[in-house]
Amino acid sequence: MGFFQKPFGYEPILKKEDLKQVVKKKKGPRATDWKSTLGRLWKIVDEQRALLIIVFLLVTVSSILALLGPYLIGKMIDIYVMHGELTGLGSRIAWLIGIYVLLAVSLFLQNYWMIGIAQQTIYRLRTSVFAHFQSLPVSFFDRRQHGELMSRVTNDIEAVSSTLNSSFIQVISSVLTLVGTLVIMLSLSPLLTVLTMTIIPIMFIAMRWITRRTAPLFKEQQAAIGALNGMIEETISGQRIVKAFSQEERVKAEFRDKSLRLKRTGFWAQTYSGYIPKVMNFLNNMSFTIVAGIGGVLALYGHVTIGVIVIFTEYARQFTRPLNDLANQFNTVLSAIAGAERVFSLLDEQQEVEFPTSQKHLLKGNVAFQHVYFKYEQSEEAYTLKNVSFQVKPGQTVALVGATGAGKTTILQLIARFYEVTKGEVLFDGINVQQIERGALRSQMAFVLQDPFLFEATVRENIRYGRLDASDEEIEEAAQRANAHEFIMKLKDGYDTLLAADGSEISQGQKQLLSIARALIADPKILLLDEATSSIDTVTELAIQEALDTLMKGRTSFVIAHRLNTVHNADIVLVMQKGELVEAGPQQKLIASGGIYAQMLESSAHHL
Amino acid sequence: MREIFSYIKPYKWTAMFALCLMLLELFVELVQPLIMAKVIDEGVRAQNPEMIWQWGAVLLVLSFVAFIAGIVNSYFSSHTAQSFAFDLRNAMFEKIQSFTLATYQKFSTASLITRLTNDVTQVQTVLFMSLRIMLRAPLAVVGSIVMAFVVNAQLALFLVIGAPIIFVFLVVMVAKGVSYFGRVQKRVDRLNRVLQENLQAIRLVKAYLRGTYEASRFEQVASHLKIDTVKALRTMEYIMPVLLFIMNMSLLAVLWFGTKQIAAGTTPLGDIVAIVNYAMRMTGSFSMFAFIIIFYARAKASADRMAEVLAVENEVEVVTTSEETPHKANFGELAFENVSFTYPGAEKPVLSNVSFQVKSGEKLAIMGATGAGKSTLLQLIPRFYDVASGQISVEGKDVQQWELQELRETIGYVPQQSLLFTGSITDNIRWGDAQAGMDEVLKATMQAQIHASVEDFPNGYDTRVGQKGVNLSGGQKQRLSIARALLRKGHLLMLDDSTSALDVKTEQALWEALSDERATMLVVTQKIRTAKEADHILLIDAGEVVAYGTHDELLQSSRLYKKIAISQQEVEE
Repeated sequence: MGFFQKPFGYEPILKKEDLKQVVKKKKGPRATDWKSTLGRLWKIVDEQRALLIIVFLLVTVSSILALLGPYLIGKMIDIYVMHGELTGLGSRIAWLIGIYVLLAVSLFLQNYWMIGIAQQTIYRLRTSVFAHFQSLPVSFFDRRQHGELMSRVTNDIEAVSSTLNSSFIQVISSVLTLVGTLVIMLSLSPLLTVLTMTIIPIMFIAMRWITRRTAPLFKEQQAAIGALNGMIEETISGQRIVKAFSQEERVKAEFRDKSLRLKRTGFWAQTYSGYIPKVMNFLNNMSFTIVAGIGGVLALYGHVTIGVIVIFTEYARQFTRPLNDLANQFNTVLSAIAGAERVFSLLDEQQEVEFPTSQKHLLKGNVAFQHVYFKYEQSEEAYTLKNVSFQVKPGQTVALVGATGAGKTTILQLIARFYEVTKGEVLFDGINVQQIERGALRSQMAFVLQDPFLFEATVRENIRYGRLDASDEEIEEAAQRANAHEFIMKLKDGYDTLLAADGSEISQGQKQLLSIARALIADPKILLLDEATSSIDTVTELAIQEALDTLMKGRTSFVIAHRLNTVHNADIVLVMQKGELVEAGPQQKLIASGGIYAQMLESSAHHL
Repeated sequence: MREIFSYIKPYKWTAMFALCLMLLELFVELVQPLIMAKVIDEGVRAQNPEMIWQWGAVLLVLSFVAFIAGIVNSYFSSHTAQSFAFDLRNAMFEKIQSFTLATYQKFSTASLITRLTNDVTQVQTVLFMSLRIMLRAPLAVVGSIVMAFVVNAQLALFLVIGAPIIFVFLVVMVAKGVSYFGRVQKRVDRLNRVLQENLQAIRLVKAYLRGTYEASRFEQVASHLKIDTVKALRTMEYIMPVLLFIMNMSLLAVLWFGTKQIAAGTTPLGDIVAIVNYAMRMTGSFSMFAFIIIFYARAKASADRMAEVLAVENEVEVVTTSEETPHKANFGELAFENVSFTYPGAEKPVLSNVSFQVKSGEKLAIMGATGAGKSTLLQLIPRFYDVASGQISVEGKDVQQWELQELRETIGYVPQQSLLFTGSITDNIRWGDAQAGMDEVLKATMQAQIHASVEDFPNGYDTRVGQKGVNLSGGQKQRLSIARALLRKGHLLMLDDSTSALDVKTEQALWEALSDERATMLVVTQKIRTAKEADHILLIDAGEVVAYGTHDELLQSSRLYKKIAISQQEVEE
C-alpha cells in the first residue's frame, strides 16, 4: 500500500508563517503588486485595441447565443414537445440552426483573433526583454547564470502565453454568461435563483483558501525551473570538463536535487490548483440537488412548471459553469503573474547609465586615466585598480604588462566603458568618458577579447560582425591579412562554412585569427587587444604581426601580451602590479632605469 | 510517444486509483439526470413529496462522495504527473551525460535545454490534466451516450449520427497539430540558441555595438516563433466550433423526432427530457474535448523530441573490458600507433598516421602551427572522440579496452579554454577529486601557483566563481584549472597550451613546481622555452608528425622547428 501513502507524503513547502505573511501582504503592497504586473501586461495587450474590441464584441455575441439556445429549447419542450405538437416546430428548429451556425462562426473568429493578439503580446514582451538585455551593464551578466536568464525569456513568458491565449475570452464570456443566466433565472423563478446563489459565499471562501497557497507556489515553481535551466545550460556547455573529470555522477546528483525541488513545488501547486474544479463541482452538484429537490416540491404545489425545473437545472449549471471557469481562470492568471513578475523584474533592472549631458564625440585618440580606482562589486572587496593615472597620445601603442590578475584586462574594460569607474576619471581627448555617448564611443573602438567568441553562423558572417556593411572582398582581404584565409579555404565550404555552436571544428588559434580579422575590418580609432594572439603559434604570429602593425598605425592601441617580444614596438609600456601602476614610459627608458620591467625582460630572456 | 509514456509504469497504481476516483465523480454526475427523472416521474407527477425528499437526499450524499473523491484525486494525479516528469527529466539528463561530444553537436545545447524543461512541462501538464479532468470529457461523452441509449435507444441514435465525421475530422487535426507544434518547439530551440549566444558574447556584442543588430536577429527568431505558434493554435481552433455545431444539430434532431414520437404516443416525456439533458452535457464536455486534442497534439510533438534524446545509442561509452589489468610498471605510459582521425561531418582528416611513444614519467612537448591538430590529439586520449584507425594505448592497454571511468580517472586534463563553474573556488578545484581533503587542495593550488592569489581574495577559498569564471583573470582561471587537474593525481597530465596567460615569472615557478611530478606529462605549447625542458618534442604539421626528438636534435633536423625558434629569438638565424 506504499502507493497509497506517497501522494500524501510530500514535504510541505509553505510554512504557516508564510501564509500569514501572504495574508498580511495581500492587504498592503501585495495587491498593488498584482495590479501593477497585470497593468503592465495589459498595456502591451492594449496596443491592439481595435482587434480587442472586435474580439470583445464577438464574445458578447457568442455568449448571448449560447444562452439563447437552451432557453429556446426549454420553450420548445413546454410548447411543442410536451404536447407532441409538430406544426410550427419546423420553423423553430430552422431558427435554432441559424443560431448555432452563428455561434460556431463567432466562436471561431474570436479565438482566431485572440490567438493573434496573445502571441503578438508575447512577441513584444520577448523582444523588449531582449532589447533590455542589450542595454544592461556587463556587471549584470557577471552575477547571473545564462540558463537562468534564458528561462525568463522562454519558460516564464510561456506561462504568460498560455494564460493569455484563453483567459481573456474566458473571463469575458464567463462574466457575460453569468449575468445573462442570472437575468433569465430571475425571470423564471426568483426563489430558485436565490437558492442557487447560496453557493457563492462558500465559493469565495474556498477560492481565497486555495489561491493564498497557489500564488506563492507558482512563483516558487518558476524560480525552480529557472534554477534548473541555469544548471542545465552550464553543465551542457561545459560538458568537456564534466567528461574529462568523469563528474557525471556529481552533476547528475546536482540535477536530481534541482529537479526534486521543481517536483515538490510542482506537486503542491498542482494539487492545490486541482482543488478548484473539485470544489466548484461540489457546489455545482449542491445547486443541482437544491433545484431538483425544492423545485420538485414547488412543482408539486403548482408554483412552477416541470419545464421550468428542467430549464432551471440546465441554467443552474450554466450559472455555476462560468463561476467555475472564473475560479480556474483566476488561478491561471496567478500563474501568469508569477511568470510576468519575473519578466518585469528584468525589465526594471538599471540600464547602463547614460548621462543626459553626454554627446557624440569624434575621437582623436587621446586617452587618459586620472586617479582611477575601481572595484567590480559594491561589496567591500579590495580595489582591482588603485590610483591609476596615465596619458596616451593619438596613434601611440601602449603595452600593458604585469602578472596575471594585476588589472590589465580591467583597464581595457574601463576604456570600453563596460564598467563605470569607482573613483577618478577616464578621459578621451580631455572629455570625461561619462560625457560621451556610449554608442559613439564604442563605434570607434575594436576589441579582440581574451576568449574569442564565434557565433553559430558562417565564417564570412563572423568576420563581418566587425562592420556590417563590409563587402565580401573586404572580408577576404581582412582574412588574408590576419593569415586566416589559408585555413578558411581548407574548410568544407570555405567562407560559407557554417560554424557549430561550440566551434569545435576549428582550433582556438584559428578562432583568434578570425577575431583579429573581425577587428581589422572594423577600422576603429582605438584598438584594444587582450591576449589576441595567445593561442597562435609564433610563426603565424610573426606573419600577422605586420598586419597588426599596419592596423595599429595611426590608431591608439592598447595591447596585452605575455610574450614580451610581441610588444617590442610599443611607444609606452604600463607595468601593473596588484592593481597599481608601478612603472610607465617608453620601453628604452624603462630598460635603462633598471626597474621592474627591466627585470621582467631579463628573466624572460634568461629564464630557464 | 509510447516510450515516453512507459515512464508512467512505476506509477500505474496511483494513476489507476486517480482514474477510479475520477470515474466515481463522473458516475455521480451521470446518474443525476436519472434521479432527476425520478423526482419528476415518481415525485411531481405522482404527487408524492416523500419521494422528492428521498431522492433529494440521495443526490446530496452522492455530491459529498464525489467531492471527497475529487480532492483525493488531486493528490494522486499530481503525484503521478510530477513523479513522471521528475523521472523523465532525470532519465534524459542521465542519457545526455552519456552522449559523445559528437552527439552534443547534433543536438546543440540550446535544443537540449528546451527538451529538458519546456518539452517535459508540456507532457507533464497533459498527464495531470488527463488524470484529473481531461479524461472526464471523453468518458462523459461516452457515458452520456450509453445512458441515453439506456433511456431510449431510438432517440439516442441521433446523438451518435455525427460520430464518424467527428472521428475522421479529429484524426486529421491531430496529425496536423503534431507537425505544427513540432515546428513550434524547434523555433523555441532557435530562440534559446540566440539568447545563449548573446549571453555568452555580451562583451563582444557591446564592444562592436551590435545591440540593435542582435535585437533584430532576435526579433526575427521571435517572430518566427510567433508565426508558427499562431498557425498551430489557429489550426487547432477549428475543432471546437465544428464539434459544437455537429452536436447541436444532433440535439435538434432529437427534439424533432422526439416530438413526433410523443405525438404518436410511443415515448414518455421523461425520456426526452433526460436525453436532452444528456445531449447538453455532451455539448458541455466538447469544449474540454477540443482542449484535449490540442494538448494531446502538443504533448505528442514534445514527446517525440524527448524520445529522440532517449533513443541515442551511447556508442563510445560501450566498453569492451578485457580481463587483464594494466601492471604498474607501465605507470602513465602512452603510445599512439598509426592514429588517424576525422571529425564527424568533416571531410579532411585532422590527424593522419600519428605514431609516437611516451615512457613512464616522461615529459613530451607537442608543438605545431595553429590548427595542426594538437588539441585534437589530446582529446583522443580520454576518448572524447574515437580514432578512425590506429590505436592509442595507455599503460599498455588499448583505450577502447579501458573502463571509461577508470581511463578518465587516470588522466588530469587542463583544457585550452579554462572552463570553471558557478560555485566556490574549493568546489571548482574539487572537481578533480570530490573526496580530497583541504590539505590536498592546498597542495594542488600551491603547486599551480594560485594559492597566494586565492588567499588575497576577501573570501579566500570560499570566493564564489561566476559562470565560466567571469570574475577571474585569464591567468587565474588557467592556474585554477591546473590545480583542478593536479588534484586528480592521475598517471597522465595533459596541459593544452594552458599557461598562455601566465607571466614569465609565474610560469617559470609553475614548471619548477611540476618538475617533480611523477605523472607522465603531455604539454601542448607555443613556447620553445617550455619545449626545451621536455624530454622529447613532437612537432606536428597539418595532422602529421614531422619531427620527434630533443630540442637540440630538432634544431639540427627540422627546418620548421628552427623557424619557430627563430620567431622566438631563441636562436640566431
